[in-house]
Amino acid sequence: MSGSVSYVILFLGTFLEALVVVCAVRRKILKRYFFLNLYMLLCVCVTLGRYRILSQEGLTSLTYRYFYFYSDAVLTIVLFFGLASLYAYVLEELKVERYVRLGAIVLLVGTAWFSYSVVSQSSHRILTYFAFELSQNLYFVGLVLTYALWATILKMRESRTLLVQLVLSLGVYFSAGAAGYALTNLYPNLYTASVVRIEPIMGCLLPLSWAYAFWRVPDDARLSPARLAAVPR
Amino acid sequence: MSRILASVSLAMLVLTVAMGLKTVVTKHGDGSFVMANGTAPAPTLSQKNGPDPLPAPWKNGPDPLPAPW
Repeated sequence: MSGSVSYVILFLGTFLEALVVVCAVRRKILKRYFFLNLYMLLCVCVTLGRYRILSQEGLTSLTYRYFYFYSDAVLTIVLFFGLASLYAYVLEELKVERYVRLGAIVLLVGTAWFSYSVVSQSSHRILTYFAFELSQNLYFVGLVLTYALWATILKMRESRTLLVQLVLSLGVYFSAGAAGYALTNLYPNLYTASVVRIEPIMGCLLPLSWAYAFWRVPDDARLSPARLAAVPR
Repeated sequence: MSRILASVSLAMLVLTVAMGLKTVVTKHGDGSFVMANGTAPAPTLSQKNGPDPLPAPWKNGPDPLPAPW
C-alpha cells in the first residue's frame, strides 16, 4: 500500500476514534461507556505517537516496532475491560456485576499467566515477548467473549439497540481479524493484501460503527429479539 | 460461594476455548501477529517470532575470526 493511502487511512481512523469520544460526550454517556471511550481515546493518542515515530524513524525502525507492540498490548487490555463492562450492562438486571468483575480479573490474570508460561520457555527477552504474546492471547479471549456475549444477548432477549450495535461491531472487528489471519496462512500470497490493506480499513469500521451508534441511536431504541436471530422455541 | 466458583470456572473455560481457537487459527502460521489495534501501518517484521530485533549475523559462531595466514 502506498504511503499516502496508509496516511489517509491512519488519519481517517484517528478522526473516527476521536468522533466516538466527542459523540459520547455530547450525549453524556461518556461515564456509562467509560472503558469503550477510554479505548478510543487511547487509540487516538497511540496513533498520533505511532505517526510521530513513523514519520521520524520509518516503518522498519526498532523504535516503531517496540512502540507499536507495547502500545498494542495496552490497547488490548483496555478493550478487554470495555468488553467486560458490556457484560455488566447486559447482565445488570441479574445483579451480578461483582461476579462479572471477578471473572474478568481471573480471566486477565489467567491469560497473563498462560502468556508468561509460553514465553518463559522460549525466550530470554521475556518482557518484550510477554507484551506481544499477551496482546495476541487477549485478542482471542476477546473474540470468544464477544461471541459468548452475543449468545447471552440472544438468550436474555436483550433489545437495547445501542448495546446490540456495540457488541455486533466488536464481533465483526474480532472475526475479521481472525478470518484474515487464517486466510493468509492458507494463501500466503494474500498476506500483503490482507494484513496491509484490510486490517487498517477494519480498524476504521469499528470507530465508524460506534460513532454512528453514539450519535444516532437513541437510548430508548429497541430491537425485537425475533429480528436478531431465529431462536427455536 | 457457588456464584464465585461459577464465575471462576467460566473464566477458565473461556481461556481454554480461546487458547484452543488460537492454536487452530495459528496452526499453520508463521508466528506473525494476528491483529493489532488502530489504523497505523503494521511494522515490517524481518523475523517471524515476535517484535524483537534479529541478532547480529555471525557467520561462523560467536568466536573472533582467526588472523589470516
